[in-house]
Amino acid sequence: MRIRSALPIWCFLAPSLVIFLLYRVLPLAWNLVLSFQDWSPLKAARWVGLSQYEEMLFDDEVFWQALWNTVFFIASAPIAVLLALGLALLVNADIRGRNIYRTIIFISYPLMTVAVAIIWRWMFEERVGLINYVARSLDLVTQPIPFLNSFQWALPSVIAANTWQMLGFYMIILLTGLQNIPENLYEAAAIDGASARRRFWRITVPLLKPSLFLCFVVGMLNSFTSFDLVYVMTGGGPGRATELLVTYIYKLGFVQTRFDYAAAVTVFYFALLVAITWSANRLSGGNAGAVERD
Amino acid sequence: MHRRGLLKGALSTVTALAMPQVARGQASRKLSLLTWNIADQEQLFKEEFADFQKAYPGTEIEWLDKKGTELAAFYQTQLVAGTAPDVVDLQGAIWVEYAANGALLDLTPYLQAEPEFVRLFNGDYLASWRYDGKNYMLPFYIAKTLLYYNKGMFKEAGIFGPPQSFDELLAFAQKMALAEKTGFLTLNFDWLYWPLFKMNGVDLLTPDLKKAAFNTPQAIDVLARLAAATGSGAINKISWTGRWVEPNGAFASNTVGMLHAHSSSYFFVKGQGPWINADTLGVAHAPGFWATPTNHGFGISKSSKNPDLAWAFVKHLTGNRWATEFSRRRKLLTGNIAADTDGLALLRKDDPVAAQVLQTQLEHTDKFCGNWPLPFDAQLKDAFYPEIQNAALGRKDAKSALNDAERAVNRLLSRRS
Repeated sequence: MRIRSALPIWCFLAPSLVIFLLYRVLPLAWNLVLSFQDWSPLKAARWVGLSQYEEMLFDDEVFWQALWNTVFFIASAPIAVLLALGLALLVNADIRGRNIYRTIIFISYPLMTVAVAIIWRWMFEERVGLINYVARSLDLVTQPIPFLNSFQWALPSVIAANTWQMLGFYMIILLTGLQNIPENLYEAAAIDGASARRRFWRITVPLLKPSLFLCFVVGMLNSFTSFDLVYVMTGGGPGRATELLVTYIYKLGFVQTRFDYAAAVTVFYFALLVAITWSANRLSGGNAGAVERD
Repeated sequence: MHRRGLLKGALSTVTALAMPQVARGQASRKLSLLTWNIADQEQLFKEEFADFQKAYPGTEIEWLDKKGTELAAFYQTQLVAGTAPDVVDLQGAIWVEYAANGALLDLTPYLQAEPEFVRLFNGDYLASWRYDGKNYMLPFYIAKTLLYYNKGMFKEAGIFGPPQSFDELLAFAQKMALAEKTGFLTLNFDWLYWPLFKMNGVDLLTPDLKKAAFNTPQAIDVLARLAAATGSGAINKISWTGRWVEPNGAFASNTVGMLHAHSSSYFFVKGQGPWINADTLGVAHAPGFWATPTNHGFGISKSSKNPDLAWAFVKHLTGNRWATEFSRRRKLLTGNIAADTDGLALLRKDDPVAAQVLQTQLEHTDKFCGNWPLPFDAQLKDAFYPEIQNAALGRKDAKSALNDAERAVNRLLSRRS
């Protein structure tokens, strides 16, 4: 009887499970095997044990640079979330035209990342870019800033473009969270004499915690996968200034035809991703993504 | 009669099964062609295919075109799957890796059997497709670096004629660097900047290609001067960071004195720069006449089931008739001597500046540089170039950058050997 009732469920799940198995589980397993081999599309595989990992950890400066840049990129996610929180609070207030403001802020999110990258590449352009033009017109700088051509500015510039694109998404999530907070809590607190700041820290922040957590996790995952933005804006340069693990893996595989070594870096990258997501889940109380049963 | 029919059938089945797989493939007369971002030539290819099918009736031709960023990945996956296209158009040095790893067919026996066909091509360009003493490709279309210069900016700066030496190149660039304007810009992909080093006697590797040879006082001096010129604005920073659109776009904006790029840049720049005409754009060789080739060629996948037919097809595409047609329609050079003579003659009437640009591509073809036949060229570039960027953009001094580059390059060479 139990089997009979479970059968239709498995039948409905089967297509998705097959796709999941083919496109997620098997490539992951194959990638893991590949990371212990010496292989390229043009030669037979040879088992080399941990030598790819040895090279990665002890003999590859680019890997460490890319890892550092990736961590830096991830660390920028909270800044975007805090900015979005400020904007969400503003557009949640009873001001005229707030729907227009919400739309304007959100509009960057549905844009294609490649388009965002091209727009910002021109904005940051040293000689004819809008940012340098404004900065020089206002006498804020004497020399144009070589945003994407400089080792100091390139990574912050890419992060700024990423933040701009994601801001609208975070804002909508946080705005939804804000609107779900019962108004009577604020009224009761106000009657009890709580200041606006106190109401924010004691009511808004605790009740917004799930939305904030969601934004942080999405932000971190987005930082991990910001391949297209970096690839179009800087290609990982100048030098290695904006090389992320994800762009480095692409170059190893598809430019240098070192799929075996790229697999080893990917395994490390995957482990890092799992560790960060697990930590974030623990910090949020350990039940992120759980579905409550009625 | 019935028995005889049965015997005949059995015999032909056995023969078919016994026939080598390749020979069976030959009988099927199917060919696939993979080209590199040239979808705009669909009409030409259709005509070429139809003409080939007249000579080889029953041949089916499948044409695939991929963008440059996708082609290598696509070809590699097809190699792994055992379904590599019979004929493939490859650019730069990517073919060496395929040739060294046995993915491409050695065309030397075909070329040796047909010396009159070999004579159709410019020998220097044909030789640039040689690895380990064997020829793996035939030229499809060719290009090498040259120097474009902005005559208006030259005049404003009181300079006449193109620079004749590295010193002059930097001095001219410095004279033109004022406010928004910069004096010099180079493309940097595929070692296109290497003539700047080669004109100063710097070699990247030892003649046996086993060790780095570039860490010399001369190279340090060259790099230090390039860095100083970049810092002062004489050399546009995009030289070290841009790829294709940015540097060509910068030159087209009429604010850069000289552009070191290959002939294809002319058409991009002209399309974007309304100021460009015979009076305003100068064309010359880089000092010392050194140039880096960046060619496209046709190779045949070793896994092709129809290698002889594929060879006939490559001959058809690169032979006088269709190479001439290609040269005329696309306004480029093909490495086929007759085709290029015809194409240039036509271009001299239609677009004299373009003809001047293309003329440089046929001169000093004995002075190619930056085209080492190494099967790990992409890794070599990746080991070397970031250090050039570090120095040119002022993050490291030239000596430290070249020390670090030498370490990285030698490590790679020892690993690969």
